[in-house]
Amino acid sequence: MELSKLLVFINKMELSKLLVSIIIIVFLILNFLPIWAAITTSLKSSLDVSRTSPLIPSSLYFSNFVEAWSRLSRPMLNSLTFTSFATLFSVILGSISGYLLTKIKFRWSNQVFIFILFGMYLPYQAILIPLVQLMAKLGLYNTIPGLILTHTVYGIPICTLLFRNFYGFIPNSLMSAAKIDGAGTWRTYIEVVLPLSIIPLVVTAVYQFTRIWNDYLFGVVLTLGENTMPATVALVNLKGSFTADYGLQMAGGLLITLPILILYIFLGRYLIRGYMQGAMH
Amino acid sequence: MYKPDVDSIFTVAMLSFVLILTGVFIYGFTAWNVVISLTTWTGITPTYDMKGFQMYLALFSDPVFLESFLNNVILIGLFISGSILIGLFLAILLDQVKRGAGFLRNCFVLPFTLSYVVTGTLWAWMYTPNEGVFDNILGVLGLNFLKTGWIANPDISIYCVILAMIWQFSGYIMIILLAGIKSIPFSQVAAARVDGVGEFSLYRHIIIPQIKGPIFVAFAILFAFGIKTFALVWTLTGGGPGISSYILSLDMYETSFSSLKFASGAAIATIMIIVVLAVIVPYLYITREK
Repeated sequence: MELSKLLVFINKMELSKLLVSIIIIVFLILNFLPIWAAITTSLKSSLDVSRTSPLIPSSLYFSNFVEAWSRLSRPMLNSLTFTSFATLFSVILGSISGYLLTKIKFRWSNQVFIFILFGMYLPYQAILIPLVQLMAKLGLYNTIPGLILTHTVYGIPICTLLFRNFYGFIPNSLMSAAKIDGAGTWRTYIEVVLPLSIIPLVVTAVYQFTRIWNDYLFGVVLTLGENTMPATVALVNLKGSFTADYGLQMAGGLLITLPILILYIFLGRYLIRGYMQGAMH
Repeated sequence: MYKPDVDSIFTVAMLSFVLILTGVFIYGFTAWNVVISLTTWTGITPTYDMKGFQMYLALFSDPVFLESFLNNVILIGLFISGSILIGLFLAILLDQVKRGAGFLRNCFVLPFTLSYVVTGTLWAWMYTPNEGVFDNILGVLGLNFLKTGWIANPDISIYCVILAMIWQFSGYIMIILLAGIKSIPFSQVAAARVDGVGEFSLYRHIIIPQIKGPIFVAFAILFAFGIKTFALVWTLTGGGPGISSYILSLDMYETSFSSLKFASGAAIATIMIIVVLAVIVPYLYITREK
């Protein structure tokens, strides 16, 4: 190829690269705009909120965070409690049923899997009224154990799916080897399968923790007061009681996002794996 | 004689436990909800007097339900197409990037990790008339005539909701489609490049036709979410102004838990599940062996 032609070719490549970069930057700005505006606004007094641009930080005013913390700390503790337990329980149940449905093939295992899987697509509105009724009958309405039970059960479908996808990759020869060594279904599970499950355990736990922490619908219909209400419900109440105080609202929104953000920064690739695995079945 | 060992007893017990839990909480409750929808239960105490399809007939002449249904159709149509188009565009962009693609991916997925109530809170500030983010930007650019009131304007409030939803979901759709693009054998792409196929027609004719599967998956996920979405709309507009951004999930929640018309609320919920079944059952059937 002649040198001049090569230069034109390189120029063309560079130009398209430049264009791709510019478009990506534009999308990044759009992507972060609401979060950026929330950060700058949360650090302003209400007077500054009304007279300065929401895009430009003007002060480091921490009163919004202090006020938001005083109203959200108890609900955040509630969220941390039921989210941790429900994550633990749903991950254990998902791992067991994922294992049984992949490695102990029985006649109806595919049908059973689809039976469980449908829960992922269920619009929760369809179970909301009976759920509240049953919780009231069991004495679990407006209690943390009630939220733990609810989130555990509705977490079973996605947890089963995530573990089933992973256990499909464990070679069956490993199972038969354990069987020849005299290990039964459950010894094989504990001694062979679980030690290989660290990645799916992390993926599923991070996925569930995020999902349950972020939930609003179950929290709003199953709880009444500050001692049980999740952080998400408290945030919406904060919004309702201070309609115009955007600094406080943004501080509250950022505050309840903080645990998820920390999780995402350190374990983000596992969460993304969960998102991708959850889409496949 | 067959003597069941401890191992199989425990297996059957665990499977039964999971099946009973999901059976009761998913299928039992759904059935219970359908039963409630056939009664006239109003108020705190349940009353199970069967009155047939009375609640359903009443809904079809209820302006709030009809507006909610129409808004839900608009929402699902635009939310699915918008999220898939932007998700696909982002996936193609990130497919071009050699260095830092992982970091960019994490950036674009970040909105999807937020709680829907946080998204609603953040976007309520974006859309606040005059002081809010969009109107401020428009003011700086001298485009004051474009200040339309956003969520305070009943003509466009539902579209504002949809835009916020697309913001939250397009990064998620991007990773699903990007995984599809990355799974296409490199030899095919390389062969096309050697043949002198341009980038645009490479995507148009070779890559996009091969990610129909992931696009189909994205469609099902977005559809199911478009029906049940609640917290984001509830926090962002509360269904307003008036009922201009009301959707089925809001109507169901208000009717049941504010007006305490549980039979009517259960009927709305039953209609929602019928809509989901009509799409998800064929979807699960088609994708069953993949």
